[in-house]
Amino acid sequence: MAVSQGFKTDLLGSIPSLRAFAVSLAQNADKADDLVQETLVRAWDKHASFQPGTNLKAWLFTILRNEFYSQMRKRGREVQDSDGIMTAKLAVHPAQHGQLDLKDFRTALEQLPEDQREAIILIGASGFSYEEAAEICGCAVGTIKSRVSRARAKLQEILKITGEDDYGPDAISTQVMGKPAA
Amino acid sequence: MKDMMKTSTAGSRARRGAPGDPLGPNSEIGRKLKQYYDELVSDDVPDRFAQLLAQLEQAEPARKKD
Repeated sequence: MAVSQGFKTDLLGSIPSLRAFAVSLAQNADKADDLVQETLVRAWDKHASFQPGTNLKAWLFTILRNEFYSQMRKRGREVQDSDGIMTAKLAVHPAQHGQLDLKDFRTALEQLPEDQREAIILIGASGFSYEEAAEICGCAVGTIKSRVSRARAKLQEILKITGEDDYGPDAISTQVMGKPAA
Repeated sequence: MKDMMKTSTAGSRARRGAPGDPLGPNSEIGRKLKQYYDELVSDDVPDRFAQLLAQLEQAEPARKKD
């Protein structure tokens, strides 16, 4: 079965998201682009197994993610699991509330274990639902939820953000009233 | 649906009890995540990918296209 023009167009259109996800996972632009390339080749090969009308982006993210982890395994590296690591590079300076620098944020994100990083990216940035993210990662919805919440807690800890979601856009009142006891 | 109704009390939406949206616009981390990601998404796509797809297409057995 030939690959349809529509499929090709959709593949092209999803490259920016694939690259963003790949960089988030691999933390390295060159590796990320290799991942994207591999993903496109695989997607092309198995296009017949994609069911039109279902979420192409989720399908592609699944392929990319599998590729990422299989490459990591090939390189003999243990897949990180949530606990352990960390602490080594905790040199991020405390953020002024609401003035968190993007560079600091990136550094903090790099310190998360892969499984937490991918979960928080899928949910908080790529726009997937918990159900879709669970599908992509091949795990239970509850697992995604707990990874997201641990990721968020760790980011807060690294970036020294306290009780942020107690006030949100209303930051001025917290300056006036001091930090909430969270 | 229930969540949407709950947030209608503007100003003081305590998100703490809403596990469905801990990374919403009220969250500094949620905002940074999106900023980080949007920057990546808006990166220029190198030509190599369009070329790759063109190559894949040419390598297709020349059957009828739909």
